[in-house]
Amino acid sequence: MGTIIEAAAAVEAAPWPGALGLADAAAQLCLERARRTAEEVDLLINAGVYNDRGISEPAIASLIQEDIGANPEQQPGTGQGTFSFDVRNGGCGMLSGIQLADGLLASKTVKLALVVASDIDPEPGVSEGFGFPPVGGAVLVSADDSRAGFTAFRCVTFPEFAGLYTSSVVWRDDIRPDPGDPGRNVLTVEIAESYAEQALVCAESTVRELAADSRLDLAEVDWLVATASVPGFAAELAQRLGLSADRVASPPEVLAGTHTAALAVALQSARLEPGTTTLFVSVGAGITVVAALYRG
Amino acid sequence: MSARGDEHWMALEGGADGSPGDGAYVSRFAAIGASIPQRRLTTDELMASTKYRTDIELEQLTGVRERHIVGEGEDSYTLALAAARDALAHADCAAADLDMLLVSSISRHVGGLRLQLEPPLNVALKAALGAEHALGLDISNACAGMMTGVFLLNDLIRQGRIRRGMVVSGEYISELGRNAAQVIRTVMDDELASLTLGDAGAAAILERAPQGAPGIEVAGFTTLSEHSRLCVAFPSPVGPGVMMHTDARGIHRVATEEAVPMLREVLDQAGLKFDEIDYLIPHQTSARAIRKASEVFSESFASTPKHVVVTVDELGNTASTTHFVALHKYLTEGRFAPEDRVLLLSLASGLEVGIVIFTVDELVGRYGHHH
Repeated sequence: MGTIIEAAAAVEAAPWPGALGLADAAAQLCLERARRTAEEVDLLINAGVYNDRGISEPAIASLIQEDIGANPEQQPGTGQGTFSFDVRNGGCGMLSGIQLADGLLASKTVKLALVVASDIDPEPGVSEGFGFPPVGGAVLVSADDSRAGFTAFRCVTFPEFAGLYTSSVVWRDDIRPDPGDPGRNVLTVEIAESYAEQALVCAESTVRELAADSRLDLAEVDWLVATASVPGFAAELAQRLGLSADRVASPPEVLAGTHTAALAVALQSARLEPGTTTLFVSVGAGITVVAALYRG
Repeated sequence: MSARGDEHWMALEGGADGSPGDGAYVSRFAAIGASIPQRRLTTDELMASTKYRTDIELEQLTGVRERHIVGEGEDSYTLALAAARDALAHADCAAADLDMLLVSSISRHVGGLRLQLEPPLNVALKAALGAEHALGLDISNACAGMMTGVFLLNDLIRQGRIRRGMVVSGEYISELGRNAAQVIRTVMDDELASLTLGDAGAAAILERAPQGAPGIEVAGFTTLSEHSRLCVAFPSPVGPGVMMHTDARGIHRVATEEAVPMLREVLDQAGLKFDEIDYLIPHQTSARAIRKASEVFSESFASTPKHVVVTVDELGNTASTTHFVALHKYLTEGRFAPEDRVLLLSLASGLEVGIVIFTVDELVGRYGHHH
């Protein structure tokens, strides 16, 4: 029995604004594609980092759950409710969310899990260094007795490179958008030039460890779904791993720098048919790498 | 699905389905750690600092007499690290033995009131602890964050996917009280709850229990998101750190109402009656809220747990750490007997309802007490 991907979706626009609007729209499109209803979702994980106003509580997943109507009200005796929480693992969040869902699906604690992510600049014009496009993404996963699905995950952190990618909110007395403001809490994202190169090095070593552990010949890989929140990452990683360019699930160029939703964006251009092998690699600040192997 | 064939509302682990089933394990708490800052701030002192003159009797309303607050050099990260080390000191394992490290702080202040969004806090914590084999992950689920971590670790240990894991949280949230003191005018103000907060770190190590040993009997979680907007926090416009808007009466009322059928479901799953619980540890918002909720529970179940734990009077509401700070206090004070059964009840913004029932067993001995 394995955890399989039922559908993926990504959106760049939504009927209502903000990170929440994008997450809601991606979640709904994903459910539509899988011909599932929101009530069937019993686990909802949000992995977005930059949301409207920088909300730190409640879990954004609970807001999405209410918006899409996934069992928001208790109805004892009528079925199963929905459990929602957030993963905050930077650019690796979606794949980490899928890994957590895989655990709860395997134990049959839940049956259908929706992993959602979106990011927007919480204060355009005030934030510094925020360059991610506004995108929402969603991936729907469930357990299937007849398919292998996700067969291995590997998560490695490289704390020596923590300084290459940082993001924080700090009070600044010198920034007063409106006269009379005492100052402002300002979001600053700083990504060093060397991050992209180091992300590749960390990703390659993690993938090679995963391949060795899983007895995977990289030549068997049909699809590479690789994200690091910087353009060009997937193609360059493919080259390092000796995979041809046509095996790279590539997002449209305007979305190449997508942050936490990048995995869902890339998945839309892959066809995970039975018999195919897909290698997932996500890299984020830390540096953190999560890699996973998926047999369709 | 339970053994009775009917569906349950919560996501449930363990209990009547047969726990452990074939090939499954029991998980248990191996150690609880805490880190409480030295500095204290009394409610009288805090209320004397409000910008506007108020006649709010906060202590009388909430039962919060004082809270501990961070001093120089302390923040969410240092509180989490100290709590993690304290937990390891009471466990018979090393950081290198941890298969998983979950960080569940709501506050992510590193280096004063610098709110760190990336990298996730687990990266530095793993390195500082030497937990090099642990899968590190930050999760966020309001005041139910640590309980969510326990739920996730319990599930993975029961399946045998991991043997040992830690969930840790450091909450530097006293600045919310400072920010609220700048704007608060009346008892109806939606930042009133911010004045009850205190700083603390807590950690819990879960491990596979030896065959036949007791541990976590059942764990359940659900999110009743029709109430998701009753308590919302985000960076403050008036000063460093965060502000929180809470419909305190609203959230207390619905939390108490919604908890009853969830408690019933979990107790049924465990095959237990409410009075078979020796210690009920609820989320610590206010002494009055806990008392009122306990009355509703007693009425609904026509019985009561032997003890209801209150720490909010001296620690304030320490967000995601409350249950584990309370557990730590009772363990170090030698209040538990090995056979005591504890029910942790999480009611948090979301609305998150999380319940864990376990037997204390040999944890007692790990704090130097032998009954």
